[in-house]
Amino acid sequence: MTIALEVKNLRAGYAGREILKGVSFQVDADDFFAIIGPSGAGKSTLIRCVNRLVEPTGGQVLFHGVDLLKLDQARLREARRNIGMIFQEFNLIERLSVMDNVLTGRLGYTGTLRSLMRMFTAEDIRQALALLDRVGLGEYVDKRADRLSGGQRQRVGIARALIQNPRLLLVDEPTSSLDPKISREVMGLIREIAREFHIPVLCNIHDVELATEFCTHVIGLQDGVKKFEGQPGELNAQALHEIYAMEVL
Amino acid sequence: MPAKPSFDPALIARGSAAEAATFARGPAAREQASRIPESWHRFRFPQSLYRYVALLTVLAFIAYAVDRLNIDLERLPGILGRIATTLGQRYFPPNIEHIARADYLHSVLETMQMSYLATVFGIALAIPLAWLASFNQTPSRRIGYGLARLIIMGCRSVHEMIWTILLVAVLGFGMLPGTLALMLFCIGFAGKLFTEAIEAIRPGPVEAIRATGGNRLQVFVFAVLPQVRVAWTGISIYTWDVVFRAATVVGFFGAGGMGWYLRESVQRIASHDVAAILLSIIIVVVVAELFSAWLRRRVAAAIA
Amino acid sequence: MNGPAVDVRAAAIAAGRRRGRALRSLTYLAVFGAVLWSIQVIMIADTDWARLAASSAGKTLASFLEFDYRLLPELVDPTIDTALMATLATLAGLLLAIPVAWLGAANISPLGRSSYVVGRFLMTVSRSVHEIVWGLIFVSAVGLGALAGVLAMGVRSVGFISKIIAEAIEDVQPGPIEAIRAVGGTRFQVLWYGILPQIVPVVLGTMIFEWDINIRRSTIMGLVGAGGLGLVFFRQMAMLNYGGVATVILAVLCLIILGEIVSYYARKAVI
Repeated sequence: MTIALEVKNLRAGYAGREILKGVSFQVDADDFFAIIGPSGAGKSTLIRCVNRLVEPTGGQVLFHGVDLLKLDQARLREARRNIGMIFQEFNLIERLSVMDNVLTGRLGYTGTLRSLMRMFTAEDIRQALALLDRVGLGEYVDKRADRLSGGQRQRVGIARALIQNPRLLLVDEPTSSLDPKISREVMGLIREIAREFHIPVLCNIHDVELATEFCTHVIGLQDGVKKFEGQPGELNAQALHEIYAMEVL
Repeated sequence: MPAKPSFDPALIARGSAAEAATFARGPAAREQASRIPESWHRFRFPQSLYRYVALLTVLAFIAYAVDRLNIDLERLPGILGRIATTLGQRYFPPNIEHIARADYLHSVLETMQMSYLATVFGIALAIPLAWLASFNQTPSRRIGYGLARLIIMGCRSVHEMIWTILLVAVLGFGMLPGTLALMLFCIGFAGKLFTEAIEAIRPGPVEAIRATGGNRLQVFVFAVLPQVRVAWTGISIYTWDVVFRAATVVGFFGAGGMGWYLRESVQRIASHDVAAILLSIIIVVVVAELFSAWLRRRVAAAIA
Repeated sequence: MNGPAVDVRAAAIAAGRRRGRALRSLTYLAVFGAVLWSIQVIMIADTDWARLAASSAGKTLASFLEFDYRLLPELVDPTIDTALMATLATLAGLLLAIPVAWLGAANISPLGRSSYVVGRFLMTVSRSVHEIVWGLIFVSAVGLGALAGVLAMGVRSVGFISKIIAEAIEDVQPGPIEAIRAVGGTRFQVLWYGILPQIVPVVLGTMIFEWDINIRRSTIMGLVGAGGLGLVFFRQMAMLNYGGVATVILAVLCLIILGEIVSYYARKAVI
C-alpha cells in the first residue's frame, strides 16, 4: 500500500491563537478519510494546510514523500495541480460556462498566454467532456454556472477537481450547502470515483452519519487536537462524546 | 463489440469502470459520448475566433477615430515630460499672494453662495419634476410624464458651461446667469436621480393611501416621500457637491465666482497666478467633498 | 400604569421632543437665512436689473429661438467626431483607470496602506479638477486639437471608473480565488479567472455610463479646439449667430438621446 499523504505534528494558527496543535495521521491510496468534530475544531484549517491555502506554522506534510511545507511557490503550484479540491460553496466562476469551469482545473498545466485566451488543448476538452458525462452533466456543457442548482454546481466542482488527474482529493464540507438527498448523491459520487481511480480522499464533514456511511477511516478533531482515529465502526457513543464534548467550564 | 468512444487514454488506464459505466447506460449514451467531442471541437474554434475578431474591430476602430480626428500620436511620447516641465517651471511656485487678496477671498464666498442658491432652487424644482417624470407615480401619464422627462433630460444633456455661456450671452456678466445655469444643471442632475429613487419604491404604502381615498398629491406626500426621504437627502447633498465643483469654474465664462480670476490670469499668461488659483480651487473642492461625505453619513445615521 | 413615574417619563419625552423640534427649527432657520442672504447677494446686490431691463436681453433670448436650419447638413460630420471623441476618451479613461484601481483597491494594493492612499488620492484629484482645467493643462502639453480634448476627458473619467473598479475588486468573492489557487494557478491566472470575471459586468456598465457623460463633456471641449459639435458651438457663438447656436444644441440633444438608446441596449447585453 502506497502512503499518499503523511501529516506529522501539524501546527497552525496566528498571533495569539493556535488552531492546530500538532496533528498527525497517514492516508493510503485507497483510503477515504473523514474528519469530524465540533465547529472551531480546526477541520477546515487542517484541510487547507495540506495544500497550503493556509500556511501552517510547524510540522510536516509529506505528499508522496515530498514535504509540501518546504516547497517554493513554483514547486508548490506543481504540487497543487496534483491535488484536487472540492469546496463547500462550490467556488465556481459564476459567469463562465460549465465547460470553462471544468477546464480551469487544467490551469496548472496551461501556460499564461494560452490561459489568457482560454486555449486549452483538445485533449483537455475531451477529458472535460468525458468527466462531465461521468458526473451526469453531459447535457449542461455550455450552460452558465450561475444557472445551475447546488447539487449540479458541486458536480461541476467534482469534475474540475478530477480533470487535474489528482493523486489526492481534499474535500471541504461538500454537502453543507446541499439538501439531504442531494448530499448523499454527491457523497456517493465522490466515493465511487475515488475508488474507481484509486484516489485517496481527505474529507472534512460535520454530518457524522454521512461520514460513517461513506468513509473508510475517521479522524475526530477537537480544539486542534486529534481525539480519535479509527474505523467508522469503532465510532461509538463514548468516542463521540470525547470528540464533541465542549470545554464549557 | 461496437466502436469504443475516444476517451482520454489516461482515464481508461486508471480503470475501465468509466467506460463500463457509459456502456452500461446503453447505445444512446454511447452515441452521445462519441458525438460530443467532435461537435464541441468544431464549435470551440469559432468562439475564440469571435474574440479575435472583436479585439481587431476595437483596434481598427481606434485607428480610424485617431486618423479622422487628426490626432497626432507623435505628441504623446514626451507628454509626461512636458507636463512635468510645465508644472515644474511655469506653474511652480504658485503665487499665493495673488489669491490671498480680499477680492479673491470674496469671490470664494460668492462661489459658495451661487452653488448654495442654485442647489436649493434646483432641488425645489426637481422634486415636482421628478414626481411627474416617474413612471410609477406620475399624476399625468399623457402629458406631464413626457414633458417632465424631456425637461430633465434637456437640462442634463447640456453641459453646465454651455448653459453658462448661453445665459451670459442673454443676461450679461455677473452671478445671476451663473446661478441660473447651475440651477438648470441641478434640475437635470438631481431630477434624474430623484426619479430613479421614486421608481424604486415599494408599492405597498402607495396602495394603502389610495385605498383610504387619498388623491395623487396625498399619495405622494404620505406614501412616496417617506420612502425616498433618505435617498433624496443623500442625493441632495451629493448634488450640492457637484454643483459647487462646477460653480468654481463658471466664472471662467463671466458668471461670477473664482473662475473669473482663473480666466483673467490665463489671459495674462501669468502661470504662477494660474497655479495659485488652480491650487485654491482644488483645495476648496476637496474640502467641500469631505464635508459633503461627512454630512451624508451624519444625516443618513440620523434619519435612518 | 399611572402615577408620578409615568408623569416623569412623559415630561422627559415631551422635553426631548421640544428639543428635537427646536433643533429642527433652528436648522430650517439657518438654511432659510442662508438662502435669503444668497438671494440678497446675487440677485439684488450683484444684478443690475435696471440695465437688464434696458438691455436687449429679451431680443437675445428671442434670437435663440430662430433656429438656423441651413446649418443642419454641416453638423453631421462634427456629430460623428463628437461621438468618436467621447468613445476614445472613455477607452483612454479605462486604460488609465486600471492601474489607479489596482492601487486604490484595499485588498490587492501592492504596497498596502501607502499605495492605497496614493490610489484614492489620484481618484479624488481626477474628479475634483474640472474638465476645462484638464483641457487647459493638456493644451499646454500637446497643443490645441482633439488630442488635448480626448486626454482631458479621459483623465477626468479616471476618477469615477477607477473608483467603481476598486470597489468591485474589494467586494469580490474569495471562493473562486481560492479555487484557482488550489488548482495550481499562477498569480496572473488567479487575477484573470478568479477576479476579472466577477468585475466585468460592473466595469462594462460603468464604461457605458461614463461614455454617455463624455458626450456631454466633449461639447465643451471645443474650447481647446477639440473639434466636433463643441467647436461648431464656439464658432457660432463667436459669430453671434444665436440661431445657429440653438441648432447645435439641438444636435447635441439628438446625439445624447441616441447615446441613451445605444447604452440601454448595450447594458442589456452586458448583464
